[in-house]
Amino acid sequence: MTTQNVTIPVDVGPVEIAQERKAPAPAQREIVFDIRDLEVNYGPTTAISGVNLEIYKHYITAMIGPSGCGKSTFIRCLNRMNDLIPGAKIDGQVLYQGQDIYGDGVDPVEVRRRIGMVFQRANPFPKSIYDNVAWGPRVLGMKKDLDERVEKALTSAALWNEVKDRLKKSGLSLSGGQQQRLCIARAIAIEPDVLLLDEPASALDPIATTAIEELMHELKKDYTLVIVTHNMQQAARVADLTAFFSLEVGENRRTGVLVEYDSTDKLFTNPVDKRTEDYVTGRFG
Amino acid sequence: MSAAAPEFSLRPTGRLRRRRIVNRIMESLGTLAALLAVAVLGLVIVSVAVRAAPALNLDFFTKPPNIFGGPGGGISSAIIGSILIVGIATAMALPLGVLIAIYLTEFAPRAVAGPIQLVLDVLNGLPTIITGIFVYGLLVIGHTQSAYAGAFALAIVMLPLVARAAQETLLLVPSALREGALALGVSRWRSVLGVILPTTFGGILTGGVLAMARAAGETAPLLFTCSIFNPAVSTDVTHALPNIPVLIFTYSEQPDQSLHEQAWGAALVLMAFVLVASLTAKALLARSRRKLGQ
Amino acid sequence: MRTTFQDELNLLETTLHEEGALVLRALRGALNALEQRDHELADEVIAFDDDVDERYVKVVEGIQSLLARQTPVASDLRLVLAMLHINLHLERMADYCVTIAKLSKLVPEVEPSPRFIEGFEDMGARCEEMTRIAMDAFADRDLARAEVLVELDELVDRANRRVVERILELGGAARMREYGLRMVLVSRALERIGDHAVDIGEQVAYLLTGEFREFTDASHPASREA
Repeated sequence: MTTQNVTIPVDVGPVEIAQERKAPAPAQREIVFDIRDLEVNYGPTTAISGVNLEIYKHYITAMIGPSGCGKSTFIRCLNRMNDLIPGAKIDGQVLYQGQDIYGDGVDPVEVRRRIGMVFQRANPFPKSIYDNVAWGPRVLGMKKDLDERVEKALTSAALWNEVKDRLKKSGLSLSGGQQQRLCIARAIAIEPDVLLLDEPASALDPIATTAIEELMHELKKDYTLVIVTHNMQQAARVADLTAFFSLEVGENRRTGVLVEYDSTDKLFTNPVDKRTEDYVTGRFG
Repeated sequence: MSAAAPEFSLRPTGRLRRRRIVNRIMESLGTLAALLAVAVLGLVIVSVAVRAAPALNLDFFTKPPNIFGGPGGGISSAIIGSILIVGIATAMALPLGVLIAIYLTEFAPRAVAGPIQLVLDVLNGLPTIITGIFVYGLLVIGHTQSAYAGAFALAIVMLPLVARAAQETLLLVPSALREGALALGVSRWRSVLGVILPTTFGGILTGGVLAMARAAGETAPLLFTCSIFNPAVSTDVTHALPNIPVLIFTYSEQPDQSLHEQAWGAALVLMAFVLVASLTAKALLARSRRKLGQ
Repeated sequence: MRTTFQDELNLLETTLHEEGALVLRALRGALNALEQRDHELADEVIAFDDDVDERYVKVVEGIQSLLARQTPVASDLRLVLAMLHINLHLERMADYCVTIAKLSKLVPEVEPSPRFIEGFEDMGARCEEMTRIAMDAFADRDLARAEVLVELDELVDRANRRVVERILELGGAARMREYGLRMVLVSRALERIGDHAVDIGEQVAYLLTGEFREFTDASHPASREA
């Protein structure tokens, strides 16, 4: 029987003070995602099971845990990207602003309009930089003031100054870190509410990683961010709230479960669950 | 620091030396085989060119065959006819083949994709003479031969080639690209149209060009559907038009030596077309690879 | 996993315990020097402080290096921070031992009442006990033991407060007055040693619970339940 240590975070104060982040006060905390008893099966294997948590607006929430513990599976449930995997079965509820995104009649395309995703490896389209950012809005009918929209997205992604003179060049001509920021610009150009980032900096060098992390602090003001990272220190630096996933090993099955979810500060100074303690201190076998 | 005599030698001895010799032999054999292939092609080209030489003059390319079947004249009508027939065939086969490929790679559930794939493979291996007979039965009996019928038969031949090439190009598109487009909340079809397809143009074009090269030389289908024609230049596709493969065949059966030479000439034209097409295809592929992989 | 890291932590803890043992020796030496008026012993105690300082520096540098390289978190982080503070407290305690040793050399040759001397011996013994308990509580990660220190410290504090009365009882002769003044300082040094021992106990509590909490606070003298 899994014990899940989920405390509604009461205070993110010290972290804010340390990094001068301006997050809304606890009293104004809004729930964006309410996930209940989420279970994902790929054929006979149960990838994650019994996951309950809430994601709050304008906070950065990080998922950490060992490989294969289901954190990527989890985040991909939030925008129904798991639908693309044949044989994937999702049970439970994922309430986005109160509506179950897996409910009857819900169009996954609509879901993904509002919940954007940035992937581990930057995957810009083989189009010009401008078109990379403009294609989404164009196709989705946001044709007005396209130039401004592109500029705004690239500025928010801290890329505008570097590319404003070469918007016609191929997106693939940028460096790795720039390509990833281009993907972020592309994602926010369609004005989503939430941005999901699946190990966004794992393929980048330390300087590009820092740029992305700083960017996340800025993006938090306008969006809600959920990130998956295998780098604990990154979660510690970036996230307000952290969820620790781990593997439950049975006879023949390995299932990912949510072990502990709390403010990052708490998880890294005095975690409640021994499994969390073992993981963050690196004593995980 | 004085250099002491090394305890090991960097030069190969014994087993290693034998392996090196074997390596050299295999390399040489491989090079020889490659040269052989080149030589064969070279031989074919040269022998056709030699035999076609007497027929090659300006008239050959600009004048149609003699009305009464005598010497002189050229194959201009056949060239035009072939262009029209192959052109129509391509216009039929290319879009359909691409659509089928898109359906197979992007949309078809596994249960459906398998059988369709099988059908394409069978179609690919279908002897073209059967294709010819089939189209004959479908379109020619009860009407007349026509360029349309010929094009239709050639389209059947081209379809699996185009579909296969398009499929392979589509499969080369990294799934990360698909995910990226879908994650924007764009529908499947728009993603394919806007992101996937543009990156495959090069590959699809290549496949199309190669299919065209193949179709241009298919004789059996045309024998049944487009072989009885007026040798004059014409663009009336509702009737049979002169075309190069059938012309080569008929001329080769004539007693007239000059017509034989013209047949060789036509063969040279066909070969030249295939060569140019292949080189173009290669160049297109290289360009599209550059664009995708950059 | 992380055996190098664990070894580093263990080494730091061992060094701290060595430092603790040295503090105990210094304290005993200072008390003996005081009681027996042994100036040579006092000098030894004063020189001995170098050993303590050496360990102090080793621990500080070790912690600095660990923080820079190993990014400890959770219980490891609390352990490192606790060790940093305990290190400081031990070093201060050793300094107070040196103070007592110096005072023992300056104290004039007089014979105060046995009761007076006994009182000081009691105070000294209690400080020794507290130091021992504090380091044991740290070694065994024993919260209950750490909390016992508060009561013991109360006794030391009371004894310290009574010293002034006792000194006034000693009379007005000049040498007696000098003696009294010096002994006030000794008493205060012992009282401070006791406080530092309690502080070490508080660090043990922090290590185990993750909460920063003072057992008692000088500005809020309401003591805990006996």
